[in-house]
Amino acid sequence: MTANWSDLGLRLSGTIVLAVMLLGVVALFVPYDPADAVSYDRLLQAPSWAHVMGTDGQGRDVAMRLVKGTEAFFLPGLAGALVAVVLGGLAGAYAGYASGPARNVLLGVLQLLDTLPRLVFIILLCTIRTPSIPLIAAVAGVLFVPTVATVVRRKVEALASEDYILAHIAHGFAPARILLHHILWLQCWPLLVRQAAFVFGYVLFVETGLSYLGDYGVQEPDPSWGNMVAQVKELEGAGAWPWLAPAFAIVLTISGFLAFGNLVARKGEESLR
Amino acid sequence: MTASRLLSVDRLVIEFDTQRGRRRVVDGVSFHLDAGEVLGILGESGSGKTLSTLAVLGLVPGRPGVVSGHVHAHTEAGEVDLLAELPSVLRGGSDGGPIRKDDRRWQRIVHRTMKPHWGRFATAVFQNPKQSLDPLMSIGRQLDESVALAHPGLDRTAIRARSLDWLRRVQLHDPQRVATSFAHELSGGMCQRAMIAVALAREPQLLIADEPTTGLDTTVRAEIVGLFRTLLRDRRRSMLYISHDIREVLFLADRVIVMRHGQVLEETTADDLRLGRGQRHPYTASLLTAADLPVGEAA
Repeated sequence: MTANWSDLGLRLSGTIVLAVMLLGVVALFVPYDPADAVSYDRLLQAPSWAHVMGTDGQGRDVAMRLVKGTEAFFLPGLAGALVAVVLGGLAGAYAGYASGPARNVLLGVLQLLDTLPRLVFIILLCTIRTPSIPLIAAVAGVLFVPTVATVVRRKVEALASEDYILAHIAHGFAPARILLHHILWLQCWPLLVRQAAFVFGYVLFVETGLSYLGDYGVQEPDPSWGNMVAQVKELEGAGAWPWLAPAFAIVLTISGFLAFGNLVARKGEESLR
Repeated sequence: MTASRLLSVDRLVIEFDTQRGRRRVVDGVSFHLDAGEVLGILGESGSGKTLSTLAVLGLVPGRPGVVSGHVHAHTEAGEVDLLAELPSVLRGGSDGGPIRKDDRRWQRIVHRTMKPHWGRFATAVFQNPKQSLDPLMSIGRQLDESVALAHPGLDRTAIRARSLDWLRRVQLHDPQRVATSFAHELSGGMCQRAMIAVALAREPQLLIADEPTTGLDTTVRAEIVGLFRTLLRDRRRSMLYISHDIREVLFLADRVIVMRHGQVLEETTADDLRLGRGQRHPYTASLLTAADLPVGEAA
């Protein structure tokens, strides 16, 4: 029974992840000029065949802006996840295997990074530098390196005393190959999938948050799910679609990614046993 | 054939620091092995037999303590003292005194020292064959890794052909199927055969078999021991065979050392043990009696 539930969850969250990925890719190729889309003869329309999610306070198609709004987090989210997983994976593998001053310095740097409050640090960074979404994503990725590194390091340390690792060493297999292929690649992928999904969700969360607050995120008229939701401040109850649709999309995407990461990782870890 | 010395272990001491002080687990062990010879190391668990032989591979657990003595390996590249290569920082004194083991630092230095010798000079087959194979990699691919290291420059198909050949040599039927299988899909005996294939495919000068039959069914144990015998007859190989089973040791070894409490009690030829010739240490005598073998003269 539990297996069925998790299968269902996996399918549901997998669909969400796939849909977001598709939208993200499609959005890259759809031409859209936010200034062109303004039309004052169709303000705040309810959903119809012409505008499946209605129109917003400037007569722009909500569905179109929702699709185009994925641009703000899609590639940055992937980049952030990649940065966290690659750097974190390598750092964790190195810290779990190596010894000496280089490792101790690395552990210190990771610990320092880990103490930074992520959101505060990102907002702080935005105030001293011109904020750009790719920069924010890269920084978010780096801020997750300690988390990824810790789980990988624990795994490496736990596996180091396994008989087959000892046997590989005795056979003279290259340590880098044992570490990167036998341990990091074959044993840690569920951990890495979980972390990647989490970081992607986090980048979306930060981007929408900043865009909602207005000063640091994506600026109107360019669409972002965050600044779409921010319209609630101006609409004053005049229409729900323009902000409800993106709000729903944010919740669905973040929870979908987190659930997908967790369920895939759990399945993966079951299969490793 | 003139026997040439392959390995000599000289006054090896291994001590671990425990909460109740320093405990000596290997106490001045010396033994030697000639090329093409099989040396059986007989002893009960805790006798230090496994630790002494793992020291040859530098695989002594990196717990705080002391290792001293010499392990002379006569590799193809010349003679090296595996312990002497450890730098002086880890040594207690400049006079070549004991080496202090300090977890990761010890590991790192051991890795640097042993890297050229692992697999090429010696490698090992352990007990728990299932745990000795990577659970997430097919047997074939693990064998490929071993073959590729022993024969750099071979292409993929040549490597796989040799891998399959090794599976045949360890008498695994249907090598194609075994090659695509994972450890959990095979029986313990099949895993141990695969493990032996992986170790031998690396073509080491010396194979260390550390209780390779422990935990296997009686009939399977006999098969594995029989396989070793066949493999040893095939070519002239050198092996350290560690076991607590005197019958296995007598079946395979040319010479035998008996260990207890970290010390070598006696060294003798397998023939003398088998035929009950010469004087026996009381402990060896008790082992022989327990196995229903003729004791000869107990000293």
